[in-house]
Amino acid sequence: MKPGVYEIPLGTPMMDLLNKWCGGLRPGRKLKAIIPGGSSVPVMTPAEVEQANMDYESINKVAGSYLGSGGFIVMDDTTDMVDALTNLLRFYAHESCGQCTPCREGSAWMYNILCRLRDGLATEDDLVALRDLADNIHSRTICFFGASAAMPVQSFVTKFRDEFVARVESARAGLPAGLAVAK
Amino acid sequence: MPLVKVNGIAVEVPPGTNMIEAAKKVGVEIPHYCYHPHLSVAGNCRMCLVDVEAGGRGPDIACNMAATEGLAIRTDTPKVTQMRKSVMEFLLVNHPLDCPICDQSGECRLQDYYMEYGQHDSRLADAKMGKGKRQDIGDQIVLDAERCVQCSRCVRFSDEVTGTGELRLFNRSNQTQIGIFPGVRLSHQYQGNLADICPVGALTLKDFRFKKRVWWLKESESVCGGCATGCNTLVHHQDNEVYRFTPRRNDEVNKSWICDQGRLSYKDVTSLKRLTGAKVNGQRAELPEAANAAAMLLKGAKVGVVFGAKATTEANWAAVKLVRARLPSARAYVIEGNDPDAFTYQDEILVDSDKTPNRFGAALTASQLGSVGDAEALKAALAAGEIDALLVLQDDVIGRLGIAAPKALVYVGTFKNATATAAAVVLPAAHSIEQAGTWINRQGRVQRLRKTVAPAGDSVADYSAVDAIGRAFGGAVIPEMPAAIFQELAAGVKALNGLTLKGLGHGGQLITLSAPSAGADQPGQAAPAK
Repeated sequence: MKPGVYEIPLGTPMMDLLNKWCGGLRPGRKLKAIIPGGSSVPVMTPAEVEQANMDYESINKVAGSYLGSGGFIVMDDTTDMVDALTNLLRFYAHESCGQCTPCREGSAWMYNILCRLRDGLATEDDLVALRDLADNIHSRTICFFGASAAMPVQSFVTKFRDEFVARVESARAGLPAGLAVAK
Repeated sequence: MPLVKVNGIAVEVPPGTNMIEAAKKVGVEIPHYCYHPHLSVAGNCRMCLVDVEAGGRGPDIACNMAATEGLAIRTDTPKVTQMRKSVMEFLLVNHPLDCPICDQSGECRLQDYYMEYGQHDSRLADAKMGKGKRQDIGDQIVLDAERCVQCSRCVRFSDEVTGTGELRLFNRSNQTQIGIFPGVRLSHQYQGNLADICPVGALTLKDFRFKKRVWWLKESESVCGGCATGCNTLVHHQDNEVYRFTPRRNDEVNKSWICDQGRLSYKDVTSLKRLTGAKVNGQRAELPEAANAAAMLLKGAKVGVVFGAKATTEANWAAVKLVRARLPSARAYVIEGNDPDAFTYQDEILVDSDKTPNRFGAALTASQLGSVGDAEALKAALAAGEIDALLVLQDDVIGRLGIAAPKALVYVGTFKNATATAAAVVLPAAHSIEQAGTWINRQGRVQRLRKTVAPAGDSVADYSAVDAIGRAFGGAVIPEMPAAIFQELAAGVKALNGLTLKGLGHGGQLITLSAPSAGADQPGQAAPAK
């Protein structure tokens, strides 16, 4: 409710930052995910957020993530994780400087796959490839930008796997994008 | 020297050696696109990623990893295999796979490495990036940006070697593509090297496009005869036909480069300017017949021998032997300068102002006869009637000096020129790639020529042509086999003592620079390869 710039002591519980300082989520919304350090670090689930403090060690231990730039992205239950990741990757695919191979080709390839996933045109193979490509980029590039593009993908498809699988299933069932197969 | 380990094999290398070169020393090939031994390290292809066991953090790229004591890398782990496979996959995402119409096929790193390290099934479902094909960017080069793997070798070559900087990688992300600045065209003398260093089919040589599938071609080592630099070359030939010259790596002479003039000089081999038959007074003759005529002309005459800076050292040596055995009063000459039709370009990279490949060798052998005259001495001697017959080896004396030819003029040469036209007897000599022998370049490096294709027409090795005159006099002056001639030459000429033809190896042997003076033209100013 209160986006802004906050200076807090290291070790502050993440939930305190969210609820006490920033005024919590909009009424009636539930927390879905937080990216704690810019957009390039692994995403955190609500369960992880509850355990984590705002310091390097805790975030890394609980969620395998980082404080990064300190840019704090909060997503509530109205957020579609496939759309969110596609949006992030559009940025990375566009910003890759194109110097070294994995990032140059890989970031755009991942974006293409995500676009198809978002539009209900992807298959299980694409999901496997997506995760694979992220692994093949991470820590194999000249600079850290490659890893920055890879970490959101790796964490999103792992921690919010259901949403990605649902998109594939709805695509297979021939449903229009955004509609899920009834369980 | 630091001791490093590659796949557990220890090897000692000079400090700072990169691990691609260190691995090569123990026979481990680390695949790479962007790394080139004679260019700066860019580290952008990521193909040379290796595991680091000790002395660093891995995985890391071998091309940018300097050897330090205790460094240990592995290239045989599943992880390395997987990394290579994945880089290959990324490189092929936007590659057009137009191998059937690509001239690089057969010598393409993408093909080679795919077979060795890739072998993945395609999982590409998206459209490939379209980029500019068939771009005419220079006199010698065609660019196909789609085939490019963005290794930046060509960019670095034009920045670091020629210093012309015409090429760049434009745009970013997967739209990155190689290109030339607007309004600019490649116009330097080293364009062909761009096609050589391009690991894929993005930069191809206009002259070679669609001429031949490279896997049909045989490669033979040779040396370029275009100037005194003596760039090491590979002759690519099939069925006695030469299709191209490419540079052969010699760090001391030409690194990995050659100028376009030298590269395209393969066309001289089948040029209409070749002398393909012996002639006596303008009439075609058999070689022994012409050699007899030559002997008749020279016998008893006041002979001047013009040693050839374009002839092999062996031919010049044969002339020395001929003089010693049959023409003891003959005078020796080495004429400085270039042929009137010689290419005038020169630079600080490779191309020398002296357009002869063996001036050092000619001067060295001629000096075995005592004093050696220059152009002025030759003119004076002819005018004064001190000599009335000339034996000329591979040198257009008449055309260059503008002198009247003596009646008794014997010419041993490869190409038609004023001297050949004026000569009473012409003995056709083989092209340098059609015969064995040696040249000594401007550094004083003895380099080996090999017979790669059959001599054109009736032409024979230039030393055999000289020897034929000796035989006409009554006996051979040199042995028949190149190795034996060289052995005799090495024993007979002090500067060459101890050398053997085989011992010259691939890169040649440097001899001491206390070269004998040959008239005004002092050969052997050691010029470091740039």
